[in-house]
Amino acid sequence: MTAAVLKSADELETRLADWLARCALGDRQAFRQLYEATSPRLLGVVAQLVGRGALAEDLLQDVYVRIWKAAGQYRAGAGSPMAWMAATARYRAIDHLRSRGARPEVAIADLPVHAGSDDDDDPTHRLADPGPGPATRFEARSESEAVQGCLGTLQGSQQQSISLAYYQGLSHGEIAAHLGAPLGSVKTWVRRGLIALKACLERCGWSGAAS
Amino acid sequence: MNLFHEELRERLAAEYVLGTLGGGARRRFDALLPAHPALRQAVAAWEKRLLPMALKVEPVQPAARVWPGIESKLGWSPAAPAASTRLRFWQAFAAAATVAAVVLGTTMRTAPAGAPMIVVLHATQGSETLVAGLSPDHRQLAIQPLQKVALTPDRSLELWALKKDGPPASLGLIAADKLTAVNQHALPKDTKGLAVSLEPLGGSPTGAPTGPVLFVGELTL
Repeated sequence: MTAAVLKSADELETRLADWLARCALGDRQAFRQLYEATSPRLLGVVAQLVGRGALAEDLLQDVYVRIWKAAGQYRAGAGSPMAWMAATARYRAIDHLRSRGARPEVAIADLPVHAGSDDDDDPTHRLADPGPGPATRFEARSESEAVQGCLGTLQGSQQQSISLAYYQGLSHGEIAAHLGAPLGSVKTWVRRGLIALKACLERCGWSGAAS
Repeated sequence: MNLFHEELRERLAAEYVLGTLGGGARRRFDALLPAHPALRQAVAAWEKRLLPMALKVEPVQPAARVWPGIESKLGWSPAAPAASTRLRFWQAFAAAATVAAVVLGTTMRTAPAGAPMIVVLHATQGSETLVAGLSPDHRQLAIQPLQKVALTPDRSLELWALKKDGPPASLGLIAADKLTAVNQHALPKDTKGLAVSLEPLGGSPTGAPTGPVLFVGELTL
């Protein structure tokens, strides 16, 4: 990622924080600008989980209603506005998936691929969890690269479980059914995978804490 | 759940953000969040950590119907029956003509000849209306609420010129219940509309609207 792109990403975050502050004061024009700047991104996030179409757009409306109402609770400096809004979008979609119990068919091919992913073709690897893989050191020039790189260092089953949970909104039970693995193993993979991901990001200097 | 235990807090926050914290545990976690700053902080940190995964997802342009749907869910665009809208328009027009006459007759004795422009400002929420008369040279303006605008004693109404580009320019405070003549300011050249916002007593402390915008009107005849 070039410095110019990073700079514009920072500028966007600054603008988003400004718009959110204005939304908290009831400024509808700022809300409209916030919507214009972020809705394709947030609809992408929702559609990734529930599929494209009218349902995703209905959920997106709920997302922005929540953002408007919670803008006052969102405090500048509490984190990244984009992270907060993307998370708000994911939570709405996940609530929908959990409440309906119905979900689209999951195709692994649809999952974004992360750099450094080790193939886990041997099914026996899915049954045992040897814990975090060897601590691979790599240079990450951005947080995005760091997250991708760190996901790549995770053991295959951990990485797969986290990707299924994140991109498809699968629950522990659904991941277990999908991978044909015991529920207990999946819970362990997710838990240890998240711990390893955080440790790796901290080693790379990306703690995720509010700066 | 002992949420003061950092390891448990971290694990719950991570699985909450990932989405694998489900069912009753998720609902309890949601309920606990407002009262636990450390928990909120852990959640915000995980949201930030996983953001690059969200940004890898391909954006999708929403259909045009989505935005009006949001406005309607927020109760901003009550679908008023056409007849009553028309009635309100004519009431507003009649009042605007009166205001314009006042502007012409009193505050604009030295203004160049020509018809004043009438601007009707509709409430962003509710049905109240303000009307403004603007001199042909855009240098003098009078504005009047058709109904008294409910206002607590610690608040003021501030009038803004909305420009094609750039931030709104303040035209000063206006009365909530009677005609206000604004003749100290020239409207910015590219003014496309007028807006009235609710501000702290004495007006916006920042020079930009800080409160909700209560009334908006476009500069068209």
